[in-house]
Amino acid sequence: MSTPKNPLELVDRYLQAVRFWLPKTRRQEDLLAELGEDLRSQIEDKETELGRALDNAEVSDILKRCGAPMVVASRLGPKRHLIGPSLYPVYEFVLKMVLLWILVPVFLFIVGPATLASTNGDWGKTILTTMGNLWSGAFIAAGVITLVFAVLERTHAIADINCKWDPSSLPPLEKPERKTSMFETVCELGFNVFGLTWLLLVPQHPFLILGPASTFLTGGPIWNRFYVPIVLLAVAVIIRAVVILVRPQWKAFPLASQVLQAVLTLILIRYIIDAAGAAGSVGWHPFVMLTANAADRGAAEVARLGHVAAVLNALILVSFVCMWIGVCIGGAVHTWELLKYFRKQRTSQQPASLQVQ
Amino acid sequence: MCYTVCVIHCMSNGTQQSSEMFENLRLELRRGCLALAVLTQLRTERYGYTLRKALADDGLEIDEGTLYPLLRRLESQGLLVSQWREEDKRNKRFYRLSPMGEEVLTQLLNEWQKINGSLNKILQEA
Repeated sequence: MSTPKNPLELVDRYLQAVRFWLPKTRRQEDLLAELGEDLRSQIEDKETELGRALDNAEVSDILKRCGAPMVVASRLGPKRHLIGPSLYPVYEFVLKMVLLWILVPVFLFIVGPATLASTNGDWGKTILTTMGNLWSGAFIAAGVITLVFAVLERTHAIADINCKWDPSSLPPLEKPERKTSMFETVCELGFNVFGLTWLLLVPQHPFLILGPASTFLTGGPIWNRFYVPIVLLAVAVIIRAVVILVRPQWKAFPLASQVLQAVLTLILIRYIIDAAGAAGSVGWHPFVMLTANAADRGAAEVARLGHVAAVLNALILVSFVCMWIGVCIGGAVHTWELLKYFRKQRTSQQPASLQVQ
Repeated sequence: MCYTVCVIHCMSNGTQQSSEMFENLRLELRRGCLALAVLTQLRTERYGYTLRKALADDGLEIDEGTLYPLLRRLESQGLLVSQWREEDKRNKRFYRLSPMGEEVLTQLLNEWQKINGSLNKILQEA
């Protein structure tokens, strides 16, 4: 870089550098001219004080004190922002809601299990694909939201909202958080123990699940694969209830374990549905099938019972699909509640003066 | 040792936070005072550099990046009038209070006296 011929050239170079960062308007040119005049006056004053002309180093000191060209330009230029302070809280809320409370649950409970099914249970590939898709989805969503809010900022939409705002449209006060009572937890535990006992007795006593139909129907081949995981899940549910009972101080545990339980249930149901779908279409009896004794009842009766078994199998499959959808929604709700809980915790840790009363 | 490191870390964070907080509050407090000081100084006509010098001589330093946008804002609000004029073979922009600026300055100074009086009273009570 060439050395300036005289110290004043350094000032011109400085002004040129500041101009680079400013919008090319008359107002900015005016400001720049004033800045130049100010700097020259400073130099002149200093020269009068010293009784000689300033050298490059001394002028550099004055310019350094004034600040780097980019910083000075940012102070001189118009205040610019993509999303202003009045819209920013809404922007932050929408961004959090979409990314954390919609995108993450959707990927966790719908896209993830669907990917797992499409990759034939390859967990590594599923996690990588889901995370990749989640990243792109989050990036696009954040971009679109930012763009929409930038447009709202430019069109001064917040002013319209402020004019149309009506206090009568405020939502009612939130009800105080309902705490799970000890009685409720004990009942839940008792019910789960009863359920597990029933589940353990079913293989020896099919009457408990099939009723009178147990004389001609029995469990299908699918239960050989999934009976143990179902029992383990039931045991996990009991352990969860016990932990809630003995460790009531673990405030986040009920919600976090409920989310985990939903995820495990979803995975299990998904595998059951896949296994049922993969069963042969001829003589499709994945869940219930005719017992060996039923064959002694005559051809017409066997055909009628076979029809009953087919309808029952189809109904069970539909029930599993409905259950899968229900658990998905439940899981999303529990995730939402868990995030709300963590948010509340974080807010309660802030100093009282910063909390909204 | 971990405890000591943690305490030192927390203390340095706390000091940093309080100094940042002080800086923000100081700037907030200064912002309004600067406008009042600039308007008061411009009861007599001045150009940017001499205004800055006059303020600095009275103990109120203000940098170029703050003063010139402030002058533009006050001018666009109709409180100041300005004109480019040649002086000592150089073009300079001279500012002075507009009639509206004089009126607003009187009101602002009254308000300032009231706030100052109240603050003094509060400080004496404390």
